[in-house]
Amino acid sequence: MIEAHQLTKRYGDTTAVDDISFTIEPGSVTGFLGPNGAGKSTTMRMIMGLDRPTSGTVTVNGKAYARHRAPLREVGALLDAKAVHTGRSARSHLRTMAATHNIPAARVDEVIEMTGLATVARKRVGGFSLGMGQRLGIASAMLGDPRTLILDEPVNGLDPEGVQWVRRLVRSLADEGRTVFLSSHLMSEMAQTADQLLVIGRGRIIAAGPVQQVIDSVSAAAVRVRSPRATELAALLEADGAAVTSSAPSALELRGIDAERVGELACAHGIALHELSPRSASLEEAYMALTQDAVEYRSDVTATAPTAPKGEDR
Amino acid sequence: MSTVTATAAAVHPTVARPAVGARPSFLGILRGEWRKLLSLRSTWWVLGATVVLITGISLAVAASVDAMAADPVTAPTLATTNGAEFVSGGFQIGMLTIAVLGALLITGEYSTGMIRSTFAAVPTRVPVLLAKAIALSVLTGAVAALSIALSYLVTMPQLAEHDLVPALDDARTWQVFGGTVYFLIAAALFSLGVGTLLRSSAGAITVALTVLLLLPGVLAFVSLDWVETIARYLPLPASGAFLGGSEDSLSSGGEQLTAATGLLVIAAYAIVPLLAGAVVLRRRDA
Repeated sequence: MIEAHQLTKRYGDTTAVDDISFTIEPGSVTGFLGPNGAGKSTTMRMIMGLDRPTSGTVTVNGKAYARHRAPLREVGALLDAKAVHTGRSARSHLRTMAATHNIPAARVDEVIEMTGLATVARKRVGGFSLGMGQRLGIASAMLGDPRTLILDEPVNGLDPEGVQWVRRLVRSLADEGRTVFLSSHLMSEMAQTADQLLVIGRGRIIAAGPVQQVIDSVSAAAVRVRSPRATELAALLEADGAAVTSSAPSALELRGIDAERVGELACAHGIALHELSPRSASLEEAYMALTQDAVEYRSDVTATAPTAPKGEDR
Repeated sequence: MSTVTATAAAVHPTVARPAVGARPSFLGILRGEWRKLLSLRSTWWVLGATVVLITGISLAVAASVDAMAADPVTAPTLATTNGAEFVSGGFQIGMLTIAVLGALLITGEYSTGMIRSTFAAVPTRVPVLLAKAIALSVLTGAVAALSIALSYLVTMPQLAEHDLVPALDDARTWQVFGGTVYFLIAAALFSLGVGTLLRSSAGAITVALTVLLLLPGVLAFVSLDWVETIARYLPLPASGAFLGGSEDSLSSGGEQLTAATGLLVIAAYAIVPLLAGAVVLRRRDA
């Protein structure tokens, strides 16, 4: 279980993670979803005690990571596929990690087998493909047979077979009762892998909950109506329990009601409709809708950055 | 949420867990750092170069003894010089390669990202630096001793002609040999400390080599009293206090430090950057 309380990280003027609180439960796969630069990696580094929070706390299984007596057995992390010295062989890398915790060499061979690295284990990591690097990162994460796994973009660079393998692996780990927390910027990947979602944008949690619930909360909206008697229709629909918003004088956006019901109501009251379109948002659309503000705001900041006298602040 | 934990544990009570029982210990961290050091090809290249350079230079120094004996100016100094100084004559070059090894030991982890794996395994961080310092000292000491032993053997024929083969029952001989090993270990630790502070290979190697090698030469051209005083406390001139190194005291123009002060100064170079490094290591983001 991972618990964050009002976790904040600032780098100079930039707030990477902005006062977020969340709980990641054991026994399920929790996806950490957000555009690049949303604060996913920073949050994960803070969980691992690598970056010091500006304020707030984060604990793993009840304690700050650094306070665990055997950290590698508590948490295994793939934070960055390249967190390995390129001049060392995969096996040497794992054995140096294992040595710190007195983990037997047999376990090193085991994770090498498990991650399909047996044929390249004695080769230097510098020559590894991105996918091999990911497998090595997952192997180091598994080394201490930890109760909690933190995987930052684990499928990045993997071939389709590797992606399948990661999905099955995290599923079986969660089924064993472990906490699995993995990040991605791909909604489609998350929908196939995760049970729970934590959506982050611009350093803030935008949505959290079971995957389907998060998707529904965004895509359920999705009935658009245009009518010359929009105001009258809006009153009728609201009386029927729909949430109505209006973007243009004759247009309505409806939530909590389906297109059939809107059509029947309009017909019953003799109101002409110029458009009635159900909009079942796809996963990607749901994601875009969730994170759009975050992304737009970020591009905005980039665009205006040169005019801000950043250097004078230091 | 605690109920979820409980049920999950109840449903899967016995997962095969071979890593169970494994706990970190300082000895384990030390073994890890030792393995790290020896599992890099660059380590072996640097160590090989160190042995070859120290031995090669000592051979060249010994070969120049003929010329020194023939020159009426240098001939008298030859009589007062312990042969051990010729044998360890290559240590300044060895200092360069050893300094590079010391800096890379930590900056290599920063440049490759390995440091995040290292600190994930040992989140208290400082034991890692201590383990690195110990592993580096042991390896440097071994290589320095090997280099001196080889130098002793290869220079023997040349030195024998002038009756300069250092006597192994002479305390002065062991002071020079021991002092050389001590100095090389200190140079390695100094670089490790600087590397910890700067985190960049280029920066750390530049700073380390400037202080170790370049500054004494540069400052020798400045004849201000306070500069000369500073120059005396730089590593190489300070090492002259216990290694003999008569040229060094001449070039800096003042009296030499006492052997004890020299040893202390060198110890400070080894320890102070490491302590500063340990302090910032705990605070910084990795």
